[in-house]
Parts: sequence; structure tokens; C-alpha cells
Amino acid sequence: MEALSGLAHGFGVALQPANILWCFVGCFLGTVIGILPGLGPAATIALLLPLTFSMDPTGGIIMLAGIYYGAKYGGSTTSILLNMPGEASSVVSCLDGYQMARKGRAGAALGIAAIASFLAGTVGLLLLTFVAPPLANFALRFSSPEYFALMVMGLSLVVLLSGISIAKAVLSLVLGLWLSTIGIDLFTAQSRFVFGRSELLGGIEFMTVAIGLFAIAEILLNIASKEKSEMLEVPRGLRNLMPSWAELKACRFAFVNGSITGFIIGLLPGAGATIASFVAYGIEKAVSKHPERFGHGAPEGLAAPEGANNADTGGALLPLLTFGIPSGSSTAILLSALILWGVRPGPLMIQESPDVFWGLVASLYIGNVVLLIMNLPMVGVFAQILRVPIHILHPTILCVAVAGAYGAAGNLFDIGLLLGFGLLGFLLSKASFPTAPLILGFVLGEPMERAIRQSLAMSDGDPSILFSRPISAFLLAVAVMILISPLWRKFRALRSEAVA
Amino acid sequence: MNKYLRLGCAAFVMALAAGPAQADFKPTRPLEIVVHGGPGSGNDLLARAITAMADQAHLSPVRMQVVNKPGGGSTNASSYLVSKKGDVNTIGIFTSVWIIDPLLQPEATTRLTDLTPIARLIFEPALVTVRADSPFHSVDDFIAAAKEKPGGLKQSGGNASSRENILRQQLMSATGTRWTFVSFPSGGERLAALLGGHVDLMILDPSEATELIRAGKIRVLAQIGDERLPDFADIPTLAEAGYKVKTFSQTRGIVGPPNMPAEAVAYYDGLVAKLTETPAWAKYVRENQFVSAPTKSDETGKFVISYEDQIRTLLKEAGMKVER
Repeated sequence: MEALSGLAHGFGVALQPANILWCFVGCFLGTVIGILPGLGPAATIALLLPLTFSMDPTGGIIMLAGIYYGAKYGGSTTSILLNMPGEASSVVSCLDGYQMARKGRAGAALGIAAIASFLAGTVGLLLLTFVAPPLANFALRFSSPEYFALMVMGLSLVVLLSGISIAKAVLSLVLGLWLSTIGIDLFTAQSRFVFGRSELLGGIEFMTVAIGLFAIAEILLNIASKEKSEMLEVPRGLRNLMPSWAELKACRFAFVNGSITGFIIGLLPGAGATIASFVAYGIEKAVSKHPERFGHGAPEGLAAPEGANNADTGGALLPLLTFGIPSGSSTAILLSALILWGVRPGPLMIQESPDVFWGLVASLYIGNVVLLIMNLPMVGVFAQILRVPIHILHPTILCVAVAGAYGAAGNLFDIGLLLGFGLLGFLLSKASFPTAPLILGFVLGEPMERAIRQSLAMSDGDPSILFSRPISAFLLAVAVMILISPLWRKFRALRSEAVA
Repeated sequence: MNKYLRLGCAAFVMALAAGPAQADFKPTRPLEIVVHGGPGSGNDLLARAITAMADQAHLSPVRMQVVNKPGGGSTNASSYLVSKKGDVNTIGIFTSVWIIDPLLQPEATTRLTDLTPIARLIFEPALVTVRADSPFHSVDDFIAAAKEKPGGLKQSGGNASSRENILRQQLMSATGTRWTFVSFPSGGERLAALLGGHVDLMILDPSEATELIRAGKIRVLAQIGDERLPDFADIPTLAEAGYKVKTFSQTRGIVGPPNMPAEAVAYYDGLVAKLTETPAWAKYVRENQFVSAPTKSDETGKFVISYEDQIRTLLKEAGMKVER
């Protein structure tokens, strides 16, 4: 009940006209930068930070947090329409979102993304509000062996991401794992695979890989294809702009799955929204009655990662507000903003700064509604992007992608890298290698390597630490189940044939 | 009127402070401050705080803008400064990493000594901490336990070349003990490992821990720095606790591109001197638990050389392969 009265107090704060305005401004800015691939939420929050110094801390944090979760809403728009993820956490939304758009269901895909984001985002907030303290302690029980098991579970999803050939998917995964080792090794401070280039010492940016493999490769594939004038079907009429009842019904489980998976993985400082969306996608496909539809425009294949991505927000704010532990670059800047205003996140924050704490939590509920209202009517407008002829659209995408890659660090080398990954994606597609496993390997490789080396350091080289702890044992068991799930399916199919 | 008067006075004082040479130079283009981290990183926040303070006190005739050059550790930023050779409108914020990267990585060819030293700004002290329910109440307790089961205790920290690992190596060789070092890429994960009881000890920045200390979640055993911090007046320094080991102070300062003209260097000397005397600077340093340690450009040059020697020796003693 304490939470309920706190939340009521928070709504009193967040519903003040000035704070509603800041919430709106933050959500709007977040949506815009979410759509642009170059500028991420972390950079935007840092750039706007000096402007908020003179603001009231509650209004300031409401606006900055709006940018953080607003970007997650916006990031899926270009994933769906152009196969170009706007943010790292929207990469998985490309897989089925873009395929839906290619089938003329762009409007429905945008609608499903918005609804999934709203529902899962709100569930994440309810969990943050009402079951916070025990969950925060759960997050602390998660240590390196558990992270290792989580990453192994993530990697086992490769069997679900493969198309026809498992071997090709595994090769693609290994390439991604290798790419993730480039740069200075955390443990020894020695460089690995940098080929004498100082630009590679810090490793390869995730967005460079993702935009190259998806957006640039898509353009190259289009140039190479016989029917050059291929244009996506533009949805017309209200009925075609909205998700159909059948599509929404297919997403029922995805909404729940996205909410829970996203929130739990969001709690863990060493994971993040991108991993959450991959795991939700994998779970969705593993339990689906029609796994063959995934990758060809299954609405639930879009709803699950999109929901997880947004439920992650509620999870990630918990360690931030209760321990002062940020789980990513955006939350790290929110932390420094709070400290600059003299509000110190930590175990005493709820008692000492109830206005900021509950005001922020209440504003998140409001922000979710604002984003839904802002995004649903825009579906029709955004879908019209597909009306633009390819010979104008594709050069524009190329310009935006190149500007984004260059803008991050102002380095020509990064543009070369982006185009290189575009070419790689093109060649892989031509040889019918799936690219999603490569992305999966790249995302999970570094945290998995780190976790196993940390675990072995902790146990003084004894590998039993990896499977003797309850949470990691459970996660590894799930990984085994995922790995054998295709066999199980085949077995069942054979048996039903035999029976028939 | 008042504002102009103050500006005039400031210009006059500045002219007095640095002699006649600097009257020759004033930046005419927006001033670029290069940092090696992305927006929100430690250096980025320092650079943005400096621009905000300089702006409020009207210290600069031109706009100051932060330029982020992340990537390649610190090398992307230092190479950018090299490419601006002789430029008078570009400066960079350096940290200890700008010295460590070229010492350890063959690919990182720009050393801090290749750039024009301008100023040292701050030292960053650190705290030796344990979880609140830990049996260790002093560094002695911890060392005694480490003696009892060699390799059994664990410390969380950054990579192998980080200050906390070098300090560990020094402490271990001074006391003839051994404990394990577990690397985590972000401060948050290191802290979560300590709070979750997965490691026994952590050396951290005071600013990331004040709340957890106040809430009684973690306990401070000692502080690393020459003098006690005002907010931790009852905590002994490592030397006071009886451990006189060599370590290096994490530092941040300002450098210019190679061959920056002397009159420009003199101008930035004056700018830093005025900046570090503002009340806003004192407040910033206090809030972040830094130690203000500004130097003039000539002292900075000497400091950078001796600092590099000091770090090279420590890295070698920690068993790392030093390239330069």
C-alpha cells in the first residue's frame, strides 16, 4: 500500500502542467532521435544535460527519461519500413517487421510495434512500482556464472534463427563471435585482431555492424536484383493501416512474453535491451505453433522483441534508483544528471527525494500513454515513406547511414567499416547465409567471454562454478531444451505421421 | 554596464597574470574541446562542466564546444589532436589512459609527450571498500585473511592496466600475499559484484559510492590519496594505515595539438587559472570528490614526463609488456 500512496503522490507531481510538458518534450525528442540511426538516446541526453541545470530536478529527469524510453519507441519505425534499425535495441524488430512491410502490412507492423511497446512498457512499470525491493536483491544474486549461462542460452537461439541450414547459421554465428573479440582485451589490456589499426583498439561499434548488414546490404541486393523497380506495396485505407484482429490475436502471448522477459533482463546491469529483445524473440519462436512463419513477417515475431525492448526500461531503472547502479550508457547519464541536481539515487532515495522518485515513476506511465497517442496517428504518415521511389529512397538511406556512422566519432575509417559490413551482408545473403546469427554472436560474444573468464577467476579455475549454482543451472537447462527443440518437433511430426 | 566592467577587469587581470605576450592572442573561432569518450563519459562530463562554468563566468570570448572522439581507447582523440598540428582553437582533455594506451598498445603511436602540455586540472582519489556485512574492518584484516588462504579472496575492478589492479600488485608484493582480480567493464557491474557478495573488496571512486556508504551498504577501509578527503575525514589513507606502496594518482588535464604557438598556450594558461578560481569550480570539485590540482603549462610539461615514467615503472612491476 505504501507503493500505492507513493504513486498517488507521484501522479500529483507528474500531472503538474510544467511536468506534463517536459514529459511530452522528452517523448517527442526521443521518438525523433529513435528514428535517426546516428544519434542515440545516450548522446542526446548528454547534449541536453547542460540545458536542464537550471530546471527543477523533477521536470529535468522526467524530460531526460522521456528521451531514453521514447527512443525505444521510435527505433522500430525505420527497422520496419527500411530494414534500418534506428537504435541498437531495435535490430531484432527488423527480422519480422521489415518482412511484414514487404508484404504490404507496414501500417499493421507499426501499429503492433506501438501497441506491444505500450503494453509491455506499462507492465514493466507496474512491476517496478509494486514488486521492486525483492527484485532488486534478485538482480544482485546474478553474478558472472549466471551471466555466462544467460549468454549460452542466448547463443542456443541460433538453432531457431537459422533458415534451412544449421551449419550456415553456426558459421555466421562464429563470424559474429570473432568480430566481438576485436579490440583491447579487458583482462590483459592487450589488443586482439586489430591489424595494426588504432581505430580498432576500442572494438567495432554495434550499430556499424547492424546498419551495414541490414540496411546497406538491402540496398546492394536491390541493385543486383533483376527487377530493379521493385517497390514495396503501400498500404491504403484505414483497414490496411491497422493491425487486423487475427494479427493481434497471434500476438497475445508475445505481449506477455515481451513484458516479463524484457523486465527481468532489464534488471541485470550486465545485459541490456538488445539481449532482452533477442531472448524474447527466441522464446516466442520456440513456443510457437508456426515457427516456420518467423522471418517471413510473423506479427508475434515483431511484438515480442518490441515489447521486451520497452519492458526493459522498468527493469533497468530499478538498480539505477535503488543502488545507483546504471545498466547502460543512457542510464549512466541519467545517474550523473541526478547527482548534478543533488539528488542521489541509492537505498535512501525513496525516503529522501520522494518527489523525484515517485514523480519520475508516475511520469513513465504518462509517457507511455503520450507515446501511444503520438505514434498511432503517425502510422499513416510514416507508411507513406514507402511511396518514395527507390531511386530517391535508397540514396537517402545511404546518406543517413553514412552520416550516422561518421557523426559518432568523425572518423572516415568508420564509413569504410560500414560499407564493408554492407558488402559482407550482401555476399552472405547471396550465398544464403542468414545474417541474424552473426548479429546474435556479435552482441553476446563479448559478455559471454567476459563472464566465463570472470567465473573461472572467481573459482580459481574450477569449471563446476558454471553449473553448480541454481540460477545458472536452470538457465543452462533451458539452453539445452532450446537446442533440442527442433529435434523434438521433428520427432513429434514423425510420430503424428506414424499415427496417421 | 556592470558586466562589461567585469569583463574589462578580467581581461586586465589576465593580461597582468600572463605578461604582454598573451595580449597578442585571442581565439576568433569557436573553441573545440576534444574528449576521448562518448557523451556522458567521465571526460565528456568534465568538458561540459568546464564549458558551462566558463560560460557563466564569461571567461571565453568565443563559444566552446565539446567534440567527442571515442573509439580506439584514447587514440582516436589523440590522433585528432595530432592532425590539428599548430592549431590554436583546439584543446583536448587528457587522462591517465592517454599515457597508458601508447605504453601498452603498439598501434597507439601518439604519446602524451608528443602533444603540447597546457594544464593539469584534478587528481581523483579512491576508496578501498568492502560490503557492510564483511568481516574486514581494516586493511590489516583483509591482508591477514589473504595470508591465510592465498588466492581465495577476490577484488572487482577494471582491466589489467587499471589503477586498482596496479595497486593490488603493489600491495601483494609488499605483503607477500595473493588474491584474485576479477575484471568488469563498467563501474556499475563492479559495484553489483561487491553488493551481491560475489567479490570481497573493491577500490572505487568516492562519487559513485557516497550514497551506498551513507545507507550502510558498504564500508570504507582506507582512502587512496595524499591527504584525507573532507567528506571522509575519519578514514585513514593507505599510508596512514601502514601501507606505503607506490601508486599513481588518476589525473585529468588539458593538452593542445603539437606545436601550439607560445602565445596561445599562454592564453589557455590564463583561462585555466581564472576557471579554477571560480566558486563554481570549487563546488564542482567538492561535489565530485576530486582534488583540485591546477598547474601552469611549464609545470604540466614536467609533470607529464615524470608521470609517464612513474606509470611505466608501475606497469612493468605489475608484469605487463611495455611497448615504449
